[in-house]
Amino acid sequence: MSARRAPRSVEPRPTIAITGLGTFTGAKIAERLLEQDPPARIVGLDLRQPRRLEGRVRFHRVDLTEPTADSIVAEILEKERCETVLHAAFFTDPHPDLEYSHELEVVGSLHVMNAAAAAGVRKLVVTSSAQVYGPHPDNPNFLSEDHALRPPHGAHSLRDRVEVEGLLRIFAQRHRALVVSSLRPCWIVGPSYESAVTRRFEAARVVTLLGYDPLLQFLHESDWLDAVELALERDAPGVYNLAADGVLPLSTLLRLAGKRSLPLPHPLLQRVAYLESIARSGDPPGAFFDYLRFLWVVDTSRARAELGFDPVYTTKEAWMSFVVARKLRGYR
Amino acid sequence: MRTADPTDARERARLELLEELRASVRALRSELEQRFGIRDAGPPEREPSVEIEAEPGVGSAEAAAGLFEGLGRQLRTRLDGVDVVKLYEALRERVSIPGAADVSAEVDEFGLDARFLSRARGWLDWLFDSWWRVQVTGIDLVPETGRVLFVANTAGILPWDALMVAHAVERLHPTGRRPRPLVADWLATLPFSQSRLARLGAVRACAENAERLLLADEWVIAFPEGQKGALKPFRERYRLRRFARGGFVPLAARLRAAIVPVAVVGAEEVYPIVFEPRLLRRLLGVPIPVTPTFPLLGPLGLIPLPSQWRIRFGEPIWFDDVAPERVSDPLYVNRTREQVRGVIQALLEEELPRRRSIFS
Repeated sequence: MSARRAPRSVEPRPTIAITGLGTFTGAKIAERLLEQDPPARIVGLDLRQPRRLEGRVRFHRVDLTEPTADSIVAEILEKERCETVLHAAFFTDPHPDLEYSHELEVVGSLHVMNAAAAAGVRKLVVTSSAQVYGPHPDNPNFLSEDHALRPPHGAHSLRDRVEVEGLLRIFAQRHRALVVSSLRPCWIVGPSYESAVTRRFEAARVVTLLGYDPLLQFLHESDWLDAVELALERDAPGVYNLAADGVLPLSTLLRLAGKRSLPLPHPLLQRVAYLESIARSGDPPGAFFDYLRFLWVVDTSRARAELGFDPVYTTKEAWMSFVVARKLRGYR
Repeated sequence: MRTADPTDARERARLELLEELRASVRALRSELEQRFGIRDAGPPEREPSVEIEAEPGVGSAEAAAGLFEGLGRQLRTRLDGVDVVKLYEALRERVSIPGAADVSAEVDEFGLDARFLSRARGWLDWLFDSWWRVQVTGIDLVPETGRVLFVANTAGILPWDALMVAHAVERLHPTGRRPRPLVADWLATLPFSQSRLARLGAVRACAENAERLLLADEWVIAFPEGQKGALKPFRERYRLRRFARGGFVPLAARLRAAIVPVAVVGAEEVYPIVFEPRLLRRLLGVPIPVTPTFPLLGPLGLIPLPSQWRIRFGEPIWFDDVAPERVSDPLYVNRTREQVRGVIQALLEEELPRRRSIFS
């Protein structure tokens, strides 16, 4: 994808620190930046080093849930002279341990923000999610970045993300010299991206809500990585919604995938989901099903205008690429 | 020990019944073959057992039950030869209510499905011409160019009026444009209706959506009475409710869209709402209006009454010469809102006596 952009400048590239190097976004972005000419200097922070990046990045083992993580991270950032921080240390799935996930996502983010400010970093890019807007019957058809963040009731992990967004906004106001960008992608799909959402769609029968057929958007994983790269490359402070072109109703998506759906009435599903959440002690999946009930389509015009975001895949193409890849791997 | 006589009598009666049923099955079979040309697929592999083992002491009720079971099995083997899919397709060709099979894999950004809509046109035409016998006046007043925002009165639980006004403009206006109706919020929470309405081009009523549609050069129909209008009781029909927040005025003024007042006569009788229990709304979170037929007859109660409709388009209101600072003046906005409301109310009062009764 990077081929279609203008050739990069040859001046020495800034050092980029990536927190959450082991996540999909962290690892893939690190690989992409390392393949550039000249390769970027990557400082990776995580609990474990991803094996395929061994020896190619300067890895530091950091636990963001530690009480003094902020000064540890600040020290690393200062020592490595990092100019840019990509904060990607978030769970792609709601973590069953609510307390730990709160510690990592909210307190960890706070540590990273404070460390970035203390170390004099120039730019901070945070991966958020468009799910923070929450699905609501009174959402407009296209949510702009200024819309209120209303995560569904009981979705702890999304509440954490909303809290991070709030902290980030305050942080950006306080440190005006620092370029703070937050990326809010809608559901990411693709050949290799895996999350709680993709697993729901991998099931032989996809549970849907009887009588509801919302319009959905997807974002292809390579378009997502392009967008993160753009945010790292350009100085684009602010919040950006990211989604592919086009919307499709859930029923059409399932039909395209040749999947059978299992429509359940909403009250029943909520009860089942409640029991499931007791058993797993995590986020109630009922919160997930709200996303298959009401509209939460985002408007990406700001990202197009200010970030230069230009997705290659449409929603349909992104979805089909996900479906085809999973079919080849033997899922149904 | 049983005596032989009653058993024999019962046995005889049973055999007679059996013979009778066999004869009727034969008759039915030949009739089927004659009428539908269902070819006999030769002798079925497993002979459906119409025979009942003569077990002494088994009552004729059981025998009859066994017989019906056999009959059912036989019928099933017969029906195996019928191409159900083809039959269904043929039926679908006749009845043009769009179903699940008519959705395409492309929708526009607000969910309008062109294929679904074109499949629905026959059905909408039928509703327009035969069911409600809609008479349209004043369509020539609708401008041919520029942005247009239709503002209409509303009633009826489901947005039939929205579909019909859109249909009237599409069919009768020289541009053939189909305006997008804005439908009340609560329909977005109502299962089943929402996705179909979206496929037919309806959009949830909110300022952001209306603005986006107008900027995308779509014509829009607004129903500013909102839910209060849709659920107003029968005795208050054709009396316009307050125009909610009236966001349509500043929107039209800002985007220089012409407001075309529309009076819809007839839509307020399709569901004569007797009352709408508050308690039920509080319990269920969804308003449940009570009409003479609605909760009583279940889904059948949702069949709208075939009242006679008149749709009257009024003189457009232009905002071309309104100074930008007035657009944000709440007093001006309120005055214009009331002016539009007055125009629609006057149009309604003009149109109402033109019907002899609500059905003609």
